[in-house]
Amino acid sequence: MTSHDVRDMLDLPGSAAPRPAKKQKLAGPRPNLKGLAREVQSLGGDNPIAIVPEISIFKKRRLASRKPAAKWELKPFKNSAREDDLVLRHWKRKAELPPAPVEENVETAPVEEEMEDSTFAKFNVKVNTPKYDDEQYRSRLESDDWTKDETDYLIGLVQEYDLRWPIIWDRYDYQPPVPALDEGEGSIAIVPATKTRSMEDMKARYYKIAATMMAIHNPVQFMGQAEFSLHEMMNNFDAKQETKRKQFAELNFRRSREEAKEEESLLLELKRILARNDKLTEERKELYARLEAPISSGNLGLYSTSTGLQQLLQQLMTVDKSKKRKSIMGMEGMSPAVVGQGNSQQTSGSGDRRESSNHRESVPSSTAPNNKKGPQAAGNERRKLTEEEERVYGVSHHDRLPGGPQFRHEKIQKPITSKSSVQQQKINNVLAELEVPIRLVMPTADVGVQFEQLLSAINTLLDGRKVADKLTSEIALATEQKRLREEKEKENKEAGGAEGGAEVKVEEEREKSAAPSVKAGSVHKRSASVLSTVSDKSTKRQKK
Amino acid sequence: MASQTMNSSMQPTDVYGGDEVSAIVLDPGYTSVRAGFAGEEVPKSFVSAHYGQIGDQLIFGDNEIHNYKPGMEIRNPMGKDGVVEDWDVATKLFEYSITSRLTRFPQSDPRSNGLNDDPKDADVEMDAVEEQEKTLEEHPLLMTETAWSTTKSREKSIEIAMENWGCPAFWLARNSVLAAFASGKATALVVDVGASNVSVISIHDGLILKKSIQKSPLAGNWLSSQLRSLFGSVEPKVDLVPHFMVRSKTPVDAGAPAQAIYREFKIPPTASFRALEEDRVLTEFKESVIQVWPGPGRLSSGTGPGSTNEDVARSQPGRVFEMPDGANQMWGLERFKVGEGMWDEKAALPVAGEIPPTKAQTIPEMIKASLGGVDMDLRPTLLQNVVVTGGTSLISGFNDRLNAELTVLYPGARIKIQAAGLTSERRFGSWIGGSILGSLGTFHQMWISKKEYDEFGANVVEKRCK
Ligand SMILES: Nc1ncnc2c1ncn2[C@@H]1O[C@H](COP(=O)(O)OP(=O)(O)OP(=O)(O)O)[C@@H](O)[C@H]1O
Ligand SMILES: [Mg+2]
Repeated sequence: MTSHDVRDMLDLPGSAAPRPAKKQKLAGPRPNLKGLAREVQSLGGDNPIAIVPEISIFKKRRLASRKPAAKWELKPFKNSAREDDLVLRHWKRKAELPPAPVEENVETAPVEEEMEDSTFAKFNVKVNTPKYDDEQYRSRLESDDWTKDETDYLIGLVQEYDLRWPIIWDRYDYQPPVPALDEGEGSIAIVPATKTRSMEDMKARYYKIAATMMAIHNPVQFMGQAEFSLHEMMNNFDAKQETKRKQFAELNFRRSREEAKEEESLLLELKRILARNDKLTEERKELYARLEAPISSGNLGLYSTSTGLQQLLQQLMTVDKSKKRKSIMGMEGMSPAVVGQGNSQQTSGSGDRRESSNHRESVPSSTAPNNKKGPQAAGNERRKLTEEEERVYGVSHHDRLPGGPQFRHEKIQKPITSKSSVQQQKINNVLAELEVPIRLVMPTADVGVQFEQLLSAINTLLDGRKVADKLTSEIALATEQKRLREEKEKENKEAGGAEGGAEVKVEEEREKSAAPSVKAGSVHKRSASVLSTVSDKSTKRQKK
Repeated sequence: MASQTMNSSMQPTDVYGGDEVSAIVLDPGYTSVRAGFAGEEVPKSFVSAHYGQIGDQLIFGDNEIHNYKPGMEIRNPMGKDGVVEDWDVATKLFEYSITSRLTRFPQSDPRSNGLNDDPKDADVEMDAVEEQEKTLEEHPLLMTETAWSTTKSREKSIEIAMENWGCPAFWLARNSVLAAFASGKATALVVDVGASNVSVISIHDGLILKKSIQKSPLAGNWLSSQLRSLFGSVEPKVDLVPHFMVRSKTPVDAGAPAQAIYREFKIPPTASFRALEEDRVLTEFKESVIQVWPGPGRLSSGTGPGSTNEDVARSQPGRVFEMPDGANQMWGLERFKVGEGMWDEKAALPVAGEIPPTKAQTIPEMIKASLGGVDMDLRPTLLQNVVVTGGTSLISGFNDRLNAELTVLYPGARIKIQAAGLTSERRFGSWIGGSILGSLGTFHQMWISKKEYDEFGANVVEKRCK
């Protein structure tokens, strides 16, 4: 910003005044510097360093604005949140009255006198506590544990402390009313001992009353969503559970240093396990992706055994040698490293892989090398599974496995793949109708069993349908025959009277009773409904 | 820039919580009475709670009471537990602290402004006061009190505010709650280490939890008595000579006997005056020498075979303190020992004629007891909002030690200590909180008005100020 600008802004005449000769000072004789300053100067020798003293200039005093200063006044005001009419005073900017000619109008005066209300009055909100009368109390709110007097006291406190339970509990000091002394008979015995109430007691009582009163004022069926959930929440308050929760919290709070440390390390461990779990699912996903690919390329049954896989590997190796690796990659969409890893895992057989993955969860350090060691080495480190775990992992023991180890997912698929392609298509259609994926998302043992059941049910269904179809066509045939015969008979009748009419009717009747429910549509519907319950179960499993 | 600074001619447009009604905040403590306008940062008026008395004449104010006057006894209207004992004098003292700096009342009258006080004018002055308009007719008054103040003393405060001073409105707030407010907390565990008392109180949503109130006398005054005991037990004994006794002094080497010329008095100063002046020296000593062992562990706890934290403390650089008479010496391990009793009752130095502190009076035990008296769900929150206030909490190492003790007590919990960095904010914590509260717009509806007082009587404080 140049001085010109400043002048411009300040509305001073142009560059009338000569600029102050500031530079002259520097050219003048050097002042006698002392101390450090002199040392610094002398560093420059003959060419003195140009040190321009920085003069800190304070902000210019604000120009007095031409307007007169704003007027403020000590204004009295009221607060409508108060019950009395206390008048306090605060400084407010004086309202600038329009400079309209002031008439001697008396009526405008009282308007001015009206005292302003505090802007903070609107923040005065109170909680609404339930109110009940004697009648309502007697009919709906009686309790063995609480007298009406104490209940009143509780509600009073809740109102007073705005539902802040820690304070209500802290200040709770109920003194039962002293029974009238005039009876004079054993007054000591009558004085009820004051109970010490836990916060849960109080809450339970209050919520009960609040819920009951809510329902009285607005029956449950007419409640809005928010109201209803509040009502439900209050109604379902479980003091026992609350107490238990607090006890747990307290135990947790009181834990010693060692326990705290232990918890910390356990949490760390958990984190690690979860991280490993994530990695595992990631790997599993990759594996599935890989398994997915060949299915389009035709028969997979060949590779379902370990020997088959061995062959596949050999094949791939040879392909590898001749072709570039990239082609496989392109087909499977995997990085070469992953492909390699997947192959080695596949060669070691499905059973082994599962064990090693189990293994990884507990012993993090030994992951891959496990596969390369002999079965004995792996067996040594193998953890004995408990019965529970066996169930979870779907481990079953066999003396001999017919056909060697298999992927479970292959095994599940087998009943379908072994069928003819027409049949397969039919099964797939049913599955699609049931919204069950053909390839199970999570083929655990349980799901597998369910799926098998489902398949056999589907088979039954298909068989049923086949029978039904056959019967329908037979019926159609029979009706056609009958029609023809009738036509013939008509001709006969026309020719020779109505002898055979009754006979035909009987036959028709018999046909109907033989297959009353064999109408194709109804069969289909019923078996579908049976099926749907089964499939429901299996889909649920899958979601798990 | 310019648009952000508030222009005096503008009013804030958004909702801004403050709305000042020129209320006065009065925060009496054992050592001093703090008074000032609500909305300000520090109290404008800071007056020693001690007063001088010669015959019937009462002398207030630091300028006066620290000057030797023949026959002047020093007294304090506050009792040992920080609650007003002598209401007659306290009324005058409070009035002095308000009127000497804040309101216009006595300055206009040279006979009563305290500057020209002359014993023989005493009665005239009293009459003059009577005729004055009431002290606080235009100012609502917010007064603080301890968590354990009695109903009687509470009723007395409103009575004085309403009847003697003519306040239009009055409120009585707990000083621990206000200290929490000053730290910006409505829920907090307040550790107030003042002069007469240490108190540990849990506060929820701006209300004290009565079952959590813990107090003990192991505060500033107790530290002073520990110091006296220390001075008496070291070799050679340290002579505690207050400033007013010394006319001139010559520098001496550390440990050498003092060479000073003492003032002589025809009428010897009273014991209470001397004690007051000695206490000032002790406060200096506390401010500059004393250190709390910062932890981990206690001063006496071992760090290895045959060595304890004491050895570590001993190896730390000592501090030199020069007495008013010039005698000076280096304080090493001793400076750690004085404050140790606040944390470890076994480490307290024995004081003749005083009951040794009990375990329950130490700060860690008080915190434990205080937390034990509140709902479980609140405890973790409280530990995350530990507010430290009061003058004695300024001794160095206090917060570190508190933190160390708390982590030992509650290893699993998250602990956060809030202690104002500024000395003034720490010493005036409860006043500052009062200043905040008194200037809030939403507080207008809380005040007990004169009308309500007239209607319900003094007991209205019990109902309203909970
Ligand atoms: N820097 C400091 N270091 C150590 N102690 C100090 C320091 N400053 C003040 N003190 C001590 O703090 C005490 C005063 O603290 P404070 O003003 O909080 O007490 P109070 O509120 O007047 O008393 P109480 O709360 O007991 O009624 C005095 O005992 C004084 O010696
Ligand atoms: Mg205090």
